[in-house]
Amino acid sequence: MALVEPTPSGPLALPSGGDTSDFKPLGVFARPVDPKRSWRKWLFTVDHKKIGIMYGTAAMFFFLIGGSEALLIRAQLWAPRGKLLSAELYNQVFTMHGTTMVFLVVMPIGAAFANYLMPLQIGARDVAFPRINAFSFWCFLSGGLFLNSSWLFGGGADGGWFMYAPNSGVIFSPGHGIDFWNLGLIITGIASLTGAVNLIVTVLNMRCPGMTLMRMPVFTWMTLVTQFLLLFAIPVLTAAQFLLMFDRLFDANFFNVKNGGNPLLWEHLFWIFGHPEVYLMILPAFGLVSEMLPVFSRKPIFGYPFIVFSGVAIGFMGWGVWAHHMFVSGIGPISVTTFSLTTMFIAVPTGVKILNWTATMWGGKLKFSTPMLFSIGLVTMFTIGGLSGVTHAVAPADTQQTDTYYIVAHFHYVLFGGAFLGFMGGMYFYWPKLFGHMLNETLGKTNFWLMLLGFNLTFGPMHILGLQGMSRRIYTYDAGYGFELWNKVATIGAFTLASSVALFLFNVFYSRAKAKHLPNPGPDPWDARTIEWMIPSPVPEYNYDPIPTVTRVDDFWYRKYAETPDHRLVRTHTIEEVAQTGDSTGVHLPSPSYWPIVLAFGLPIIAYGLIYSLWLCAVGGVVVVAAIYGWALEPPDAPGGDHGEHHEPDAGGELPADADASTSASADEKEVETVG
Amino acid sequence: METQTADDRSQTISTGFLDGARKNYPREVQYVIVALALAAITGLEIATYAAPGFPLWNWGEKAGLVSFLLLLMAIKFWTVAYFFMHLRFDKPILTRLFYSGVILAIGVYVAVMATLHGFRAGQH
Amino acid sequence: MADTAVVDHDAGAPHAHIEHDTNTGISNTKLGMWIFLASECLLFGGLITTYLLYKTPISVEQGPAPHQVYDIPFTSVSSFVLLMSSLTMVLAVAAIERGDHHRVRTWLVATALLGATFIAGQIYEFTVFVGEGMGYTTSRSSSAFYTLTGFHGVHVTVGIIMLVSLVLLSMRGKLPEHRSETVETVGLYWHFVDVVWIVIFAVVYLIP
Repeated sequence: MALVEPTPSGPLALPSGGDTSDFKPLGVFARPVDPKRSWRKWLFTVDHKKIGIMYGTAAMFFFLIGGSEALLIRAQLWAPRGKLLSAELYNQVFTMHGTTMVFLVVMPIGAAFANYLMPLQIGARDVAFPRINAFSFWCFLSGGLFLNSSWLFGGGADGGWFMYAPNSGVIFSPGHGIDFWNLGLIITGIASLTGAVNLIVTVLNMRCPGMTLMRMPVFTWMTLVTQFLLLFAIPVLTAAQFLLMFDRLFDANFFNVKNGGNPLLWEHLFWIFGHPEVYLMILPAFGLVSEMLPVFSRKPIFGYPFIVFSGVAIGFMGWGVWAHHMFVSGIGPISVTTFSLTTMFIAVPTGVKILNWTATMWGGKLKFSTPMLFSIGLVTMFTIGGLSGVTHAVAPADTQQTDTYYIVAHFHYVLFGGAFLGFMGGMYFYWPKLFGHMLNETLGKTNFWLMLLGFNLTFGPMHILGLQGMSRRIYTYDAGYGFELWNKVATIGAFTLASSVALFLFNVFYSRAKAKHLPNPGPDPWDARTIEWMIPSPVPEYNYDPIPTVTRVDDFWYRKYAETPDHRLVRTHTIEEVAQTGDSTGVHLPSPSYWPIVLAFGLPIIAYGLIYSLWLCAVGGVVVVAAIYGWALEPPDAPGGDHGEHHEPDAGGELPADADASTSASADEKEVETVG
Repeated sequence: METQTADDRSQTISTGFLDGARKNYPREVQYVIVALALAAITGLEIATYAAPGFPLWNWGEKAGLVSFLLLLMAIKFWTVAYFFMHLRFDKPILTRLFYSGVILAIGVYVAVMATLHGFRAGQH
Repeated sequence: MADTAVVDHDAGAPHAHIEHDTNTGISNTKLGMWIFLASECLLFGGLITTYLLYKTPISVEQGPAPHQVYDIPFTSVSSFVLLMSSLTMVLAVAAIERGDHHRVRTWLVATALLGATFIAGQIYEFTVFVGEGMGYTTSRSSSAFYTLTGFHGVHVTVGIIMLVSLVLLSMRGKLPEHRSETVETVGLYWHFVDVVWIVIFAVVYLIP
């Protein structure tokens, strides 16, 4: 040791700095040994792939809830003076529909893809903080369940997903629904924030050799921008939500107008979060489409640097436009003009992307597989939604459009027609990689066309309804305004959409059953471009062995193909030659852990306590503190799990191995085979 | 340099012992000097309260006082970040990451204040 | 390839810090903490903005305004205490980087004590304010004041708990030099909490 220590006496003079491997875990702190029983594998896993699948499954579950709420809305609005839902119940249904779809569906599906795919795309074995990753998922799930438990405890929140004050205060909304909304979203916010820190550190720190930032796949770039948006936007929402919580639970005066509370404060704080929020909902889908279009056009993405920089630009500029949600709130002409201008400017980077995607397809050898159809769906539907968005940017026009169904049409075109279609395509595209079998193509194409039809039938007419003057967020309308026809069309469309979702779910189960009789599609069924396609399907637990070294964008493609001087593509290697075999053993991986799920489910206990009884808060607090200490003190490995390889106690996985020598043979050394 | 050990308190701490540093970390006595400077600046801040009429900050209605206090605050902020939090000695990415948060926060919140007329005197 | 930083192979030399095999050369933990601190700027910024907008109460009958109850000399002493705790913190970090475990515990305990003194001062201040008629629900400015300083106080308290935990870990021999980044990461959090107070002291207390 460095110092010659004096003879120890008293507690502060104990020698320290010993080796951690002497630590004998107490029984309660021992980590779970790799469980044989399947449910324990999922409950205590820290593997990013399992966590990604759980995010996606949970999101689809919430999608069914939010979708049912949507169908209730459409059924209520089928005819004037609908009797299905009372006004109070309607307010709850549309609030929960919006909240569920935004926070519990679209954001988690983005997280699902980011979690599963991003470490694979950068050649890593896991994320930077695997236990925090597990915690993020369980925290999201517990927050989402807590939020939806409001239905069982007196009714859902009823202030709209944007929860404007003072309507959200106890005077106008005395039930507990909004408290559930508030606390539930604070919990999911913790999940998002910890996930953001995790994924940013992963991208910045854990890329494989040769993977510079400008060689990363576009999806990884979009994920990085999304995580930065989350990192900075969630705290603003959290601040606003604490203010609301203190108003409702402890009689504070933040939005109490009698005592000088300013409703606009809520609006500003919410929309400073809310606008970057919508960009972080769409960017992962943009990233997925940027992966799929090149594969099915057999051309590289057009203008890779432009696609990357426009994504970054959207991230930056998204911070400057929030008050376009507040044009009619009385902020005054100077503010309105400023935000109108900034909103018009932000159309530019998005336009760049649309241009680049189109140029990618132009002159390519197009293959209209299901993922390709969904990708083209995103490009076209998002363009429509984007165009209506540009009309909102013009503040005088927006004064007519705001609070009408025209706005509802806009954001559903960009969120459903954009983000959700992109996610559907991503699911069809990546299904073989995740599960080792393809989703049925015929069912997939039918799924797409049915979904496209239903979607347009539902939301297309809303443009007209809005411009005709139908107000949004109302539980019914009178006859004689001319709203009847298009409302009926929209409702029919909604049920068509529902049937397309049912078809998707059927496809999932059908394909799984059929897969037993079909051969494994192999690592690269689509003939794709990025390195995640060179490992087996489904992906082995350790991802890569050895960790590859990349030399350029679309590195995997150029291991398979080369270009002749006259720009013809020739296949130089078969998939068997370039893919990894996936039969490695003895790769050291992070051990599973109990504490993330314990900590995550301690939080709703505190939340229930805040609503019902402070004793529950104490119980929840004890669970949380115990979980944190258990987490901090548990040994880095399960008993018997140390393979004797060097690893760092804090980092996630093994150190990257040396360069991937076996697959770096250049085209010159191999025989050239022309490919049709 | 080859025989430097980390525990030699008369030397700076070499980057070889450190996490993400590009310059040696200071000696302990240098930290104490920085702390004394911070204490002095705090004393100056308190002086604005104790002697509000002093001409250095008593100009332009309230503008002088506000500017002076904000300036001192910024100097202290920067000093702690650069010296105590080692931003000066660490790789620049850490500075960029942290300051992007700071600048974004200042940007959006100043915009909110401006929109809500927070910089005007009186009630809002 | 991993351990490139051992400079001195003498028996008495400290374990050199392992150079991290990360793309940035910075450990995941330290990078993660800096990113988290960047996000905290947005949180505190929101609460500070709320205070600034709500500074003036709208009617006198409710109770005194924050500015009427502040005891600047007392708060100045508190601020000074917290500032000095930053010094002791960075001395603790320097100590562990030099492998001096005895001093690291001394400085960590000093930091925790100074932090606890600050919190005690805050609690005392708040009790006085409440006694003078400025409670949490009295007015919009009082709600904003207590929320902002309360959030800060909770952050300091969490910091103190982390410091005490580090001292206990060190005493049980589980804080070796090559884990110095743990102390440094807690140190970053602590300095940030101090930096937020620097802003609060100026913007909330001093600026009229």
